[in-house]
Amino acid sequence: MSVTKLAYYPGCAGATHAIDQEMSTKAVFEQLGIELIEMEDWNCCGAAEAEDPNMVYALNARNLVIAEKEGLNVATPCSICFYNLARTDKALKEDENLRKRMRDIDSSLDYKGTISAKHTLDILVNEVGLDEIGKKIKKKVAVKVAPYYGCYLERPSEIGFDNPEMPDSMDKIVELAGGTPIPFKQMRIRCCGGPLMMTRGDLAFEMSKRVLEAAKKGGADCIITACPLCHMMLDAKQPDIEEFFNTTIGMPVLYFSQLLGLALGVEPKKLALNKNIVSTKEIEEKVI
Amino acid sequence: MSINAWELDPEFKYEVASTPGGENIMRCFQCSTCTASCPIADIDPNYNPRKTIRMTLLGMKNKVLSSDEIWMCAICQMCTERCPQDVRISDVMGAIRQVAEKEAKKGNIDIKSVRPTFEKAFMHQIEKYGRSYEIGLTMEYYQKVHKGFVSAMMAMQKDYTKLGMRLFKKGKMPITSMLPEKIKRTDEVKKIFKSIGD
Repeated sequence: MSVTKLAYYPGCAGATHAIDQEMSTKAVFEQLGIELIEMEDWNCCGAAEAEDPNMVYALNARNLVIAEKEGLNVATPCSICFYNLARTDKALKEDENLRKRMRDIDSSLDYKGTISAKHTLDILVNEVGLDEIGKKIKKKVAVKVAPYYGCYLERPSEIGFDNPEMPDSMDKIVELAGGTPIPFKQMRIRCCGGPLMMTRGDLAFEMSKRVLEAAKKGGADCIITACPLCHMMLDAKQPDIEEFFNTTIGMPVLYFSQLLGLALGVEPKKLALNKNIVSTKEIEEKVI
Repeated sequence: MSINAWELDPEFKYEVASTPGGENIMRCFQCSTCTASCPIADIDPNYNPRKTIRMTLLGMKNKVLSSDEIWMCAICQMCTERCPQDVRISDVMGAIRQVAEKEAKKGNIDIKSVRPTFEKAFMHQIEKYGRSYEIGLTMEYYQKVHKGFVSAMMAMQKDYTKLGMRLFKKGKMPITSMLPEKIKRTDEVKKIFKSIGD
């Protein structure tokens, strides 16, 4: 295993309401003996709100430079942050003119292109590797799981790290943890509507409801996700969705890092499972 | 709908194509893979990204720019991924939105959607603090949309009391999140905004 130290980019959600993702990500990497060093003075990636790609490139050039100075590759647990960091990395590595334009704005944007920016899921599955993680598995999480990928991890494919039509890196984590992934075809890659929550809440609710209902219909005990926006929609807003559509869903939604943490023998509290909105008790009971 | 060629603006497509993200719009050959793959179109049959692109290529500038549809895209990249012509529809939609904001600023069109107001409020937080600040964002956005402090507070209370309490009870809204997390070198971020704008 070659990965020992990474520049950690929590993203704005990780620093606030996604504390469950933050805690479980740190716990998992600690178990695997990989040091996550939070990037000094990182800034917001621009999320889905920066419409001008040049704004995204500039904001994330600054972030990449911070990690580059430490000589460390960037790891982020958020799909949107990953998309913005990785597309900036790619654009700047490919385009000398763009690099110059960034340099001309400020020396803090002078990215040389000597590092990479990846999602924590990608690092775990493809760099650390399933064999290495497998050696540290202590428990079996015997649950049926709907692996929900949403957007950006797998598409657009020149940025994404997984199969754009049928991503399976989280399925592999579920199997490693002793669980069973349900097929969840098509639905695994459909948007949760998160970016529309504040401006077209009706559409966002409908989109999330479809994901939740498909998981329920597929017989899943829980959904797992790798993005704090998906988690906000599916978990924190699940009671609102139930009220909006006058229905009952009751589907636990875990971060993949929480599920993996359970299998690595981390105690539930350290994975912040007590902070999930929909109770994860039934999942915890199936850890053997 | 009949189209009068003399009322079209043939320059519009070039304007979109020269806006960051819009570069590939003219590659579109109208196969409709985008619309068939779109999760929004699956919910609202009136939503049709293929049609928005065709109308843009024809030069139906005002109609496209004042339409609600351009603000309904969730930027999920499904269309971009499946497009056989590499039009990069998600990015093209973003370019059209940028043109719409420019024209609205000049007073040429009216934007009914609240999304540009939300996006601006979001970017303002980054400009000020270097990071997103949810309370500041929500306050600014609600005051703009609900026109004034009192009605904004009432609307916020209605929309957020339940979610807020839920998050607070679980310790997902620590006291520290009430205040913005300001980065140290905001001057570097301010330079970005000065150079690129919002």
